[in-house]
This record gives sequence, C-alpha cells and structure tokens, in this order.
Amino acid sequence: MMLLLRQIIMLTGKDLRIEARSRQTLGLVIVLGILIIVVLGLGLGPEQLTNGASATATLWVAYLFAGVLVFEKTMSVERHDGALASLLLAPIDRSVIYVAKLISNLILMLILALVITPVAVVLFGFDLSAAPGQFTMIMAMSILGFAAVGTLFAAVVSSTRLQGGLLAIVVLPLALPLVIASTQMMIQLFRDGKPIGGTGLTVLLAADVLYLVTSWLVFELILEP
Amino acid sequence: MKQMNSIFVSIYWLATLALLAIGVVMVFAYTPTEVTMGPVQKIFYLHLPIAICTFFSCLTVFVASVGYLWQRKAMWDHLAHAAAQVAVIYAAIVLLTGMIWGRAAWGAWWQWTPRLTFSLVLWLLYVVYLVIRPSIESSQRRAMICAVYGVVAFLDVPLVYLSVRLMPDIHPSSIELEPAMKSTLIFWFIPVIMVTVGLIAASFKLAKRQAACNITRELPLPKSKTARPLRPTITSGNRGVV
Repeated sequence: MMLLLRQIIMLTGKDLRIEARSRQTLGLVIVLGILIIVVLGLGLGPEQLTNGASATATLWVAYLFAGVLVFEKTMSVERHDGALASLLLAPIDRSVIYVAKLISNLILMLILALVITPVAVVLFGFDLSAAPGQFTMIMAMSILGFAAVGTLFAAVVSSTRLQGGLLAIVVLPLALPLVIASTQMMIQLFRDGKPIGGTGLTVLLAADVLYLVTSWLVFELILEP
Repeated sequence: MKQMNSIFVSIYWLATLALLAIGVVMVFAYTPTEVTMGPVQKIFYLHLPIAICTFFSCLTVFVASVGYLWQRKAMWDHLAHAAAQVAVIYAAIVLLTGMIWGRAAWGAWWQWTPRLTFSLVLWLLYVVYLVIRPSIESSQRRAMICAVYGVVAFLDVPLVYLSVRLMPDIHPSSIELEPAMKSTLIFWFIPVIMVTVGLIAASFKLAKRQAACNITRELPLPKSKTARPLRPTITSGNRGVV
C-alpha cells in the first residue's frame, strides 16, 4: 500500500515538475478559459449577464474546453522521446499510472477553476454568497467525474491521428450528465433560491464512481506506447 | 447452403415488409383519430417501438463491446459497429418523430424537455462512436478503443436519464389508449423488431466482409520466380544502370 502511494506521489510529482519547468499547459488553459468567458459574456445580452444560470453555463463551457486541453497536454508529454514506452517498462502497475495522471489533471483543473471562477463571478455579477459551500461541492464533484473520463480518453486518443479534436468529441458527450445535473442544481440554488435535491447529488456521485471505476479497470487495456 | 441462406434472408425481408404494410393499413384504416392531437398522434405507433429498439441496439453495442474486451475476437467489434449504426439511425428517427409531435403539441420544433434532451444526448453518444472509428488506423486498436467507448457510453445512458429528470417536464407521462390503438401499437412492435434485427444482421455481415477484404489487401503478394521487380536492382553486373 505504501509502495503504491509512493509510486503515485512520484509520478504525480514528475508531471507537476514538468509543468512547473515548461509552463506550457497552465498558462495556455487559463488564458483560453478567460477568453471563453469574455467571448460568451460579450455574446450574451445585458439581461442575461445578471442571470446566475448563464454564469454557471459559461463556466462549464470554459471548464470543458480548457479541461480537454489540460488532459491532452499532460498525456502528450508522455509521447515525446518514447517516455511512455519507458514508463510502461517500469515495474509499476498501469492503474497507478492512471491514478497519478488523474491527480495531476485534477490539480491543474483546480488551479484553472481557482483563476477563472472569480473572473466569471466578477464579469457576470454572479452572487455566490447564497451558497458558496454547495457551489464548491457541486463543481468539485463535477470536475472529478470530468477529469476521470478525460484522463482515460486522453490516453486512448493520444495514439490516434486526430488528437485534440477527437478528444473533445469523445469526452464532451460523456460529460453531459455532469453538465446537466450541475447546471440544473445551480439554477435551483442561485436563480430559484431553492435547496438542491438529492437526485442531482446522486447523479454526480454515481457519475464519479462509475467513471473512476470503469477508467481504472480499462486503462490497462488501452495504454500503448 | 449459401443459396438456402439467401432464400431465408429474402423471405425474412419480404415478411417484414408485409407486416410493415399491414401496420400502415392498421394505422390509417383501423385506429381512430385521437381527439386532441388529431392525425399527428399516429406518429406514436412508430415512435415508441423505434425508441424501445434504440435501447435494444445500444444494449447490443454494450454486450458486444464487453464481449470484445473479454475475448478479443473481431466478430464482437463487427457486431458492436453494426448495432451502433442502427442505434444512431433509430435515435435520429426518435428525435425527428418527437420533434414533429412536439411541433403539433407545443407549437415549437424543439423544447428542452427531459425526453427530447435524453434522445439528443443518446444520439450524440453513438454518433461519436461512429465518428471515432475511421480515425484509428490499426483494426485491433480501433476495436479496443471502440469497445472501451461502447462500454462507457452505455453506462452513461442511465446517468443521462437521471440527470435530464432534473429538468422541468411538459412531456405527457402516460397516454390513455383505446383498445384499437393499443392493439395497433403492439402490432407495430413486430415489424420494427424484425427490421432492427435484420439491419443489425445485414450490417454485421457487411462489416465481416469488409474486414475480410482488408485482410486480403494487407497480405503480401506471393513471391514468383518469374515476377519482375518494379525497379532494376543494383547488382555487381548492372551497377549504375538504375
């Protein structure tokens, strides 16, 4: 157990160290996220801007597209100089590689969310004070499920011809239950002022568990140098 | 044996067409016109069986994908591909018939109701399955990736169903049917199921033939003593002739 934990920490540390030294992913996705929020903000009318629902929808668009870029970049690092082939030769279980990649992606997504959420809150005049805890919980659960499925398919897609475009096409439909459930709960919370029901949270929890378990089980089958 | 098979297929499709024709006659001559919706309600006899068969096709994709992951036999991949094609066509029909019905009922082609949204997401999930296939060159890799996607996409279906239930619904939850309407609806399930099975089988057969053709193309040509090389090779005797 301790060995597994050490391997996960080592692989996650490697990914984060590469990102800290190259700074090629985080800067890119943060700027992309802010651009998406600004473009959608300009496209929506003034009456839409003050609506809580449009702020969460815009945030989701930013998370989805910037997230896809995060997953793609963290996996493409492994494709350079045969790094993945060397990693697969190492005496490490492949599910450990999945967990480490997932944690790296989650940390990068968390930093992304910490930067672009306040931007959306300010630009859209989105009042989070009604339920900041519930907002954080819903978004954290949604991002976990999204990262779980995104990490799996980034590994799948990285070995094909159409890399970036294909990843977005594959991951976005699979992430739709998360988007629908979280946006509906946000509408209930921030527009209608109602408490969130158990169904939405159950959907998010079920999606997280399902994506994590399935990805963990099948990651070994699809990873190829 | 091959001839017997072809006769059986012809009989199967003729019987299906005959049953479809009887179904159409029943819809227009036997069933009464619904009072509120008028003639557009007759779309329901096609809509419901097709919607049920869409799930059947998705289930077939799932079973075949699991089969591939388990046994790694190309047959399972061909079956999953065939069923996914049928699922996409059927989900498109469900969407279109739902939109036509919605136009008459609500005055708009599209409403973000749970069931229409569910059909749209289901269609998208399986369109992606078909879109990713040609972009993967290696047949084994394609089969593996599609099998993984086929499993995750099917497991996603109940989540989509549960998540869309959070949306406000204006779709009728149940419809009271007269006995003639009920029997026509039950009858329509027979030809639609036959079409579904027939389409999956035909598509499966075609995928198997295509795969066999691709394998033949990829095989190296037999070496012949009399065969001439395309370019003269450099040997000690003809050095510099190339």
